[in-house]
Amino acid sequence: MKRLAVAHPIPTAVVGWFARIGRAYRITLEHAGALGMLTWDSFVAVVRLRVRFRDVLTQTHIMGIQSLPIVFVTASLAGIVTSQQGGYQLISSSPRYVLGTLVVQSVVLELGPLLTAIVLVGRIGARITAELGTMVVSEQIDAFKSLGRDPVAILAAPRIIAGLITMPLLVGFADVVGIYAGMLMADLDGGLGKETFFYGARLFWHSWDLFYGFSKAVVFGFVIPVISVHMGLRTKGGAEGVGLQTTQAVMFMILTILIIDALFPPLMLQ
Amino acid sequence: MIRYIDVHKAFDIPVLSGVDMTVETGEMFALFGPSGTGKSVLLKTTLALIVPDRGDVHVDGISVHHGPPGSLEQVRRKIGYVFQHAALFDSLNVFDNVSMGLPESEIARMSRADTARRVWEALEIVNLEPREILAKLPSELSGGMKKRVGIARAIVGRPEILLWDEPTTGLDPVNTAAVERLIKRLSGELEVTSLVVTHDVEGGLLMCDRVAMLSGGTLRFCGTPEEFRNCPDPVVRAFVDRAAAEAALDMATT
Ligand SMILES: Nc1ncnc2c1ncn2[C@@H]1O[C@H](COP(=O)(O)OP(=O)(O)OP(=O)(O)O)[C@@H](O)[C@H]1O
Ligand SMILES: [Mg+2]
Repeated sequence: MKRLAVAHPIPTAVVGWFARIGRAYRITLEHAGALGMLTWDSFVAVVRLRVRFRDVLTQTHIMGIQSLPIVFVTASLAGIVTSQQGGYQLISSSPRYVLGTLVVQSVVLELGPLLTAIVLVGRIGARITAELGTMVVSEQIDAFKSLGRDPVAILAAPRIIAGLITMPLLVGFADVVGIYAGMLMADLDGGLGKETFFYGARLFWHSWDLFYGFSKAVVFGFVIPVISVHMGLRTKGGAEGVGLQTTQAVMFMILTILIIDALFPPLMLQ
Repeated sequence: MIRYIDVHKAFDIPVLSGVDMTVETGEMFALFGPSGTGKSVLLKTTLALIVPDRGDVHVDGISVHHGPPGSLEQVRRKIGYVFQHAALFDSLNVFDNVSMGLPESEIARMSRADTARRVWEALEIVNLEPREILAKLPSELSGGMKKRVGIARAIVGRPEILLWDEPTTGLDPVNTAAVERLIKRLSGELEVTSLVVTHDVEGGLLMCDRVAMLSGGTLRFCGTPEEFRNCPDPVVRAFVDRAAAEAALDMATT
């Protein structure tokens, strides 16, 4: 036995590793290809005016208006926590107005877009995957096709458009809420007045920051519906398949969002 | 005319392995077969809801799977499909579900009243009271009602060809008879081609011009009802006998 193992030039474990990497690579490419196709098909559906305005409006309402309460809560908490922790760390080491800078920059550059995106993954992404997955397993997607309708125009495109519209608006809302919550907290906690807070905020302010934050919002607003629709349409099996697919879609979206978020500084802050 | 040419499809295991079958224009054609032999899969290849691994389907001479761009749309416009489990759109009420069966181009040209009239007629044909159910959601309907709404949706667009996947399973005898009459009437008056997948062997034999039996991934039999009754093939015999026994049991228990 021992001699056999020695004679073999590559241990099986290594071969297994390569096989696994190869498979992961293939699956990634497959997903990327399918996502690209879905994006292209949706674009074509929009250009050919096959997307109904009413569908877009409904989705915008679901994603935008109905998300306001939860976005309000997360954004205020983010602002409050940043303000408290910042205030604690900055004691006696820097001028007090730097707290304004810290809160505004954290919220606009990072917390606003990222937290809103994560919340929307749970609230909207999971919902879309489960909804479309159920439509697949109950043959409703087949029914659309059999009636000569295009599921991309009816289901995918309105959701993607709605994501692109609502996400920047929600992030704008989150920014305002987060900054105000942070400011109120700074006032309550350390007696830092509104003027001092905004003095600090303005001192280091670039309009570029706003553009940077909103670029993230647009990208996330695209990523969430595209991935969730894509995953939903690939659902297999019954109720169990829908559950499994939804979990995977949520993981997929969160990972993608975190990776994109990490890619933003090197790409845009040069 | 629908021609299935050497249709192959495997999922984890082979389901269809070389099905050749022709349904003539205006014909009523019944397809039998044990559960799980791929009857629904075969029907779905007609509209490219499932793409065969090999082979093709021609509908009135148009290739579904290897035709030029646009041929699939053309085929889908000709065909109405009655799904085995109705496949109604959950989020739409009965009216919107049925009106989905009208081609988009037609809806654009029709007045709202005309659309409503067409939907109304289709629901009456399948023995449903439109006034009562138009505004209901699929979740508020019984299984048999869903099935009939599914049929209404398939026929409202007046297709030339109808594919029926077990249209009478789960219906009471009155509605079963009504659906059978409907299939007959559509073929008789409007020359609609009907391909009916059914477990009701007796009903299929009485109603249809020709019948076929799918078993083990290929067509085990294809011919007239008369020939089917007298077919010496033991597999066909066993299937017919079992179907007859089950029908007798059904009669005894209901
Ligand atoms: N989308 C799919 N993915 C994987 N397997 C499938 C799929 N559709 C059908 N199958 C498999 O193909 C086989 C045939 O299924 P099909 O639904 O065509 O049977 P059937 O003849 O219509 O049976 P029944 O009379 O019970 O409706 C089954 O084993 C089924 O598991
Ligand atoms: Mg079936």
